[in-house]
Amino acid sequence: MSEKPVTIEISDGAAIPRRKDKGLVSAWRLAFFSALVIFTCLLIFKREPYLRIIKFLPDGILVTFEVTIASISLASIIGLFTGLGRISRNRYINLIASTYVEVVRGIPLLVQLFYLYYALGRFVRIPDIAAAVIAMSVCYGAYMGEVFRAGIESIDRGQTEAALSLGFNRTQTMFYVILPQAWRTILPPVGNEFIALLKDTSLVSILAVSDLLRRGREFASESFFYFETYTMIAIIYLLITLLLSKFVGIMEERLGRYEQR
Amino acid sequence: MNSVNPIIQIRNVYKYFGPLKALDNVSLDVNFREKVVVIGPSGSGKSTLLRTINQLETIDRGQIVVDGQDINSPANDITKIRAEVGMVFQSFNLFRHKTVLQNLTLAPLKIRKISKDEAEETALKLLEKVDIKEKADSYPAQLSGGQQQRVAIARALAMNPKIMLFDEPTSALDPEMIGEVLDVMVTLALEGMTMVVVSHEMGFAREVADRIVFMDYGQIIETGTPQHFFENPEHARSQKFLEQIL
Ligand SMILES: Nc1ncnc2c1ncn2[C@@H]1O[C@H](COP(=O)(O)OP(=O)(O)OP(=O)(O)O)[C@@H](O)[C@H]1O
Ligand SMILES: [Mg+2]
Repeated sequence: MSEKPVTIEISDGAAIPRRKDKGLVSAWRLAFFSALVIFTCLLIFKREPYLRIIKFLPDGILVTFEVTIASISLASIIGLFTGLGRISRNRYINLIASTYVEVVRGIPLLVQLFYLYYALGRFVRIPDIAAAVIAMSVCYGAYMGEVFRAGIESIDRGQTEAALSLGFNRTQTMFYVILPQAWRTILPPVGNEFIALLKDTSLVSILAVSDLLRRGREFASESFFYFETYTMIAIIYLLITLLLSKFVGIMEERLGRYEQR
Repeated sequence: MNSVNPIIQIRNVYKYFGPLKALDNVSLDVNFREKVVVIGPSGSGKSTLLRTINQLETIDRGQIVVDGQDINSPANDITKIRAEVGMVFQSFNLFRHKTVLQNLTLAPLKIRKISKDEAEETALKLLEKVDIKEKADSYPAQLSGGQQQRVAIARALAMNPKIMLFDEPTSALDPEMIGEVLDVMVTLALEGMTMVVVSHEMGFAREVADRIVFMDYGQIIETGTPQHFFENPEHARSQKFLEQIL
């Protein structure tokens, strides 16, 4: 039991704002409001071509949201089972879960996306978006699995022993005692995974999925406003990501409330 | 099972942690309503022995029969047996995400499937018994160690167990809180609970124990009444241990 991970790996998501960042000038505020101001100014003072660009993008934003939300949901479920599999005492379940994690972590996301997308497309005809969601979920499910595993393992063994000694079986112990506590450890890194996932959905633009980035590319290649279009795309991603990180920060505080010390 | 049989029968039990022999041919019977206090130096296998009784530790050889059921037999459901055996830990192990009241009601609700009203009524009675009713809606982190341990005892009692196991219940407490926990345990003993207690509290052992079990190197070296054990222990190791702690 001594090789328990003490810290949880933090992914490359945007920083989740903490309650400690009380001052007026936090990195989050600076980034968010600068982006907002630039965004608004461009639309007001340089309507051409920015207004045209922005009118072209809502479809893409919607697709990006769809892919993100669907992938987050599916990846969380896969992640929970993978995490449980990784700590399972059943050798085979454990081996399957661990192999899945190793394989997924060893292949770049973009390669996985191509592979799954075309592999899925070859055997079953499913909508492009569905294929993209499955590919994203399979990949992020493995990352989330590690987060879940670390969260579960961060709960003191005594909690499990107390539950078992009362007569709970292992499944009940996990769902009534361990997971409700592990949430608080799991939430910050899961939030980071969500944010990272949102950004990584831009990779699906390489497939035939009309997400935000792909819509931008389409516009740029027709109009030749490359600089302007990608400025807009970058600002939009930044705003969405910052909002999401704010949301995760608020959730974290809510859930963290039960144990005052 | 007739009540003349010991409620706990431990027969020739061996337990290894890798090459380390933590239990070395241990046999012990505990009768219904008997109070047994297990003492011995650190690392002698006291906790391991206690934890084999509800299979928090599996055994490598031997047999343990609790309330007529061989706990290692695949025919018996260990979770059912555990529900009849309460355990109190050195580190309390209260569920940190639950209030005091919820700590007491969780297992009765989910395992005994009794109604919420009934579970809460029983829980409040038990909290009154351990004198901490006013903290029913607090979270464990808001309680002192002594209070937490009293809640932990009440939580185990909420399942209405036939046997209570205590693993150094006062060792993690500040000295001024030891008394309040021991008081609860003495009351429980007077009510006739079957208890197996690992403890370094010699005063408690003297007062409450029907039998003292002295362990060293994973073996039971000597057992006897408190009077016998404290006044004229037979074995050299028991004598040496007593000299060190008294
Ligand atoms: N999970 C484990 N893995 C490996 N060794 C263990 C484990 N649990 C206990 N041991 C070892 O088994 C021996 C007996 O341990 P045990 O905890 O039963 O002793 P104890 O008498 O309760 O001591 P203490 O008074 O310090 O609590 C010790 O040498 C201990 O290091
Ligand atoms: Mg011990």
